[in-house]
Amino acid sequence: MKYQSQAVAKPYFVAAIVLFVAQITFGLIIGLQYVIGDFLFPEIPFNVARMVHTNTLIVWLLFGFMGAAYYLVPEESETELHSPWLAKLMFWVFLVAAGLTVAGYLLVPYSGLAKLTGNSLLPTMGREFLEQPTITKLGIVVVALAFLFNIGMTVLKGRKTVVNLVLLLGLVGLAVFFLFSFYNPTNVVLDKYFWWWTVHLWVEGVWELILGSILAFVLIKVTGVDREVIEKWLYVIIAMTLITGIIGTGHHFYWIGTPEYWQWLGSIFSALEPIPFFMMAVFAFNMVNKRRRNHPNRVATLWALGTAVMAFLGAGVWGFLHTLAPVNYYTHGTQITAAHGHMAFFGAYVMINLTMISYAMPLLRGRTLANSSRQQTLETWAFWLMTISIVLITLFLTGAGILQTYMQRVSVTPQPFMAVQEQISLFYWLREYTGLVFLLGLTLYIASFFVGRKDPEPAVAN
Amino acid sequence: MAQAFTKAMARNIFYGGSVFFFLLFLALTFDSMGQLPMRDNRAALSSDLGPTIAHGKMLWEENNCIGCHTLLGEGAYFAPELGNVYTRYGNSTEAIKVFIKSRPVQGVENRRSMPQFNFNEEELEALAQFLKYVSEINSAKWPPNVQG
Amino acid sequence: MSNTLTIEGVRQPPGDFAIWIFIMAELLVFAIFFAAYAMTRMSHVELFNEFQLQLNRRAALANTLVLITSSYFVVRAVSAISGGKARSCLRWLLAAMGMGGLFICIKSAEFAHHFALGVNLSTNLFYMFYLSLTFFHFMHVILGLVILGAVAYKTRQGHYSAMNHTGVETAAAYWHMVDLVWLILFPLVYVMR
Repeated sequence: MKYQSQAVAKPYFVAAIVLFVAQITFGLIIGLQYVIGDFLFPEIPFNVARMVHTNTLIVWLLFGFMGAAYYLVPEESETELHSPWLAKLMFWVFLVAAGLTVAGYLLVPYSGLAKLTGNSLLPTMGREFLEQPTITKLGIVVVALAFLFNIGMTVLKGRKTVVNLVLLLGLVGLAVFFLFSFYNPTNVVLDKYFWWWTVHLWVEGVWELILGSILAFVLIKVTGVDREVIEKWLYVIIAMTLITGIIGTGHHFYWIGTPEYWQWLGSIFSALEPIPFFMMAVFAFNMVNKRRRNHPNRVATLWALGTAVMAFLGAGVWGFLHTLAPVNYYTHGTQITAAHGHMAFFGAYVMINLTMISYAMPLLRGRTLANSSRQQTLETWAFWLMTISIVLITLFLTGAGILQTYMQRVSVTPQPFMAVQEQISLFYWLREYTGLVFLLGLTLYIASFFVGRKDPEPAVAN
Repeated sequence: MAQAFTKAMARNIFYGGSVFFFLLFLALTFDSMGQLPMRDNRAALSSDLGPTIAHGKMLWEENNCIGCHTLLGEGAYFAPELGNVYTRYGNSTEAIKVFIKSRPVQGVENRRSMPQFNFNEEELEALAQFLKYVSEINSAKWPPNVQG
Repeated sequence: MSNTLTIEGVRQPPGDFAIWIFIMAELLVFAIFFAAYAMTRMSHVELFNEFQLQLNRRAALANTLVLITSSYFVVRAVSAISGGKARSCLRWLLAAMGMGGLFICIKSAEFAHHFALGVNLSTNLFYMFYLSLTFFHFMHVILGLVILGAVAYKTRQGHYSAMNHTGVETAAAYWHMVDLVWLILFPLVYVMR
C-alpha cells in the first residue's frame, strides 16, 4: 500500500462483503418462495424479500466501487486522497442509511414506510430497484457528491492517468443518471422511458466504464504489461460500449408504448453490445499471456480473467439471446430475463468487485503482495463454486424460461401464468439447491479472510 | 497509414463516438416524445378519470405491486402480468376489484400468495382504473395473448 | 514503424489491430442496416416502391457527385502532403470540406421538405428506414467534416510533413468510408425498384 489514505478503502470492502451475504440470504428466501409460495407469508411477503435482495446487491456494489476508487485513485494519481475523514464519514452515513432503509423494508409495511418517510411530498418510491424512500435517495445523492468531490480533487491534484479519468467519468455518469430516479410522472410510458435512463445507462453504460478501468488497473498491476498498451485498449473497449449501448437503450423500448422504430434501432445496436465484452475477454487473456511478471496473487489474476469471461457470457451472450425484437416479443418479462440478469450482474459487477478486493485486501491488511498459498487456495475454491453455481442457476432459469415462453406465449393454447409456474417448478427447485452451493462458495470466500493469515506469502517467481 | 493506432486516436474515437451517439439518442428521444401523444393513452389522464388514475398509480407504487407483478413486461416475475389484466378479466374493473378484495390475509396454503391490502372502495376503483388505463396504451401488440 | 509489416512473409494491413475494429464495426452496422432494409423491402415491395417515388432522386444524384468529388479532393490532399506540400494539402482539404458542406445543405433541404409534409420516423416502414439510414449517414458526414476540419487545422499549423502525416491518411480513410456507404445507400434506397 503506497499511500496511507488508501486504507479508507478497507471498511468499504468489508461492508460490501457483509451486504453481499445479506443479498444472498434473501436470494435464498425468495428462491424458496418461488416453490413454497407462502413461505414467510405474510410477515415477509415476496416483494419485500425481493427488494432487500436487489437493494442490498446495488448498495454493496456501490460500496465496492467506492472502495475500489479510494484504493486505486491515490495510487494512480500518486498523491494522498484529498480528504480521508470525509471518506470515513460518508462510509458511516451510507451504511446507516442503507441499514435503516432495509430495516424499514422489513419492519414496516411498504405503504407505511411511504407515509413515514413523506413520500407524497416527492413520490419516488415503488419502482423496481428504486424502492428506496425519497429521503434515502437524497442521502445517496449527498454521499455520491461527497465521494465525487473527494476523488475529483485527488485526481486534479495529481497524475491524470487514463485509468483515473475513465473511472471518474464512469462515476460521474453514475451520479448523473441516478438523478433520473427522481423523475416519476403519472404517464406510465414517460415513467418507463426515463426509468431506463437510470437502469440501462447504468449497467449497460457508465458502469462498464467503471468495470473497464478497475480491470485495467488490476491487469497493469498483476501482469506488468506496459500501461500504454492497456490504456489504449481500455479506450477502445469503452468506445465500443457507448457506441453500441447508448442507442442500444432502445431494446427496452419495444413494448412499453414508445414508437415502433425502436424495435429496429434497439435490435441492431443492442445486438452489437456483446462486442466490448468480447474485446474485454480477448484483452484480459492477451495481457496475462504477454505478462512480464508472475505476480504472487494468482487468485486475483483468476478473478480478473473470470470476470471478463463471465461478463461476456452473462451480459454479452445471454443478453444477445433475447435482445432481438422478434425473439423478445415472446420472452419479454419471463425467466429468460431473470437468467440473463443473474449471470450478467454476477459476471460483470460482482466479479469485478471481488477481483479488486482480491487484489487490494491483502495489501490493506499488511501483506507485501499477496495472501498465503492456503488463503489463495481457499479463495480459488470459492471462485469456482460461486462461478459454476451461477452458470448452473442461469441454465436452470433458461430452461424454465424456454418452457414458460412456449407454454404461456408461443403455444396456440396458451396457459395462465400460475399454471405455467406450477409446471416448471422443478427448475426452481434445482435453482434453489444450486443457490445453496453458491452460499457454500460464499462461505469459503469469507473463510479465506480468516485462515492462513500468519502463513508466509508465496515466493515470487522470476 | 504509416504509424500504429495510437492511444490518442483511441481516445478521440471514444469521445467522438460517445458524443455522436448521445446526440443521436437525444434526437430520437425528441422524436419519440413527439409520437407519444398518439400512443400513450394520455387522453385518459386528462379526462375526468385523470385524478382517479393518478391516485391508482400512486397506490400501485406505495404498495409495491411491481415487487411481484410485471407491468408491460417489466417488474418481478412472481405473479402475473397486469398490463392486460383488464382485458384478461373481460374488460371489467369490477372483476379486478373483486380479486384484490378477496385475498386471504394468511395467504393460500403452499401457493404464491398476495397480501390483503385492506383498500377502501375508492382505492380499489383507482387501482382498477389505473390498470384499465395501462391496458389501453399502444404497446405494439404486446403481450402476444391474453395470458400476458 | 515500417509501412509493410511482415510476419513470416505475410503482409499485414497498416496500423494496429484496434483501428480495424472500428472500421469493421462501422461497416457492420451499416451492412446490418442495409440487409434489414433489403429483407424488409422484399416483403413490402409495393409500399417501398410507392413511397420511393416521393424521394428527390435528382438531389440524391447531385449528392453522389458531390461526395465523389470530395473524395477526389481528399486523395489530392494526401498526395500533396506526401510530397511535403502542406499549403496545397490544406487547400484540397478545404475544397473537400466545401463539397461535404454542400452535401449537408442538399440533404438538409430534402429533410426539411419531408418534415414540412409531416413525414417522420413513424409514418410508415419505408420512411422509417429511409430517414434512419440517411440521417445516420448524414451524421457521419458531419463527423467526417469535423475530422477533416481538425486535420486541416493541424495542417495549417505545420503539424504534418512528407515523412509524417498519419493523421491526414486516417481522416482520408474515414472520409472514403463515408463516401463508400453513400455509394451503396443511393442505389439501394433511391433507385432500386
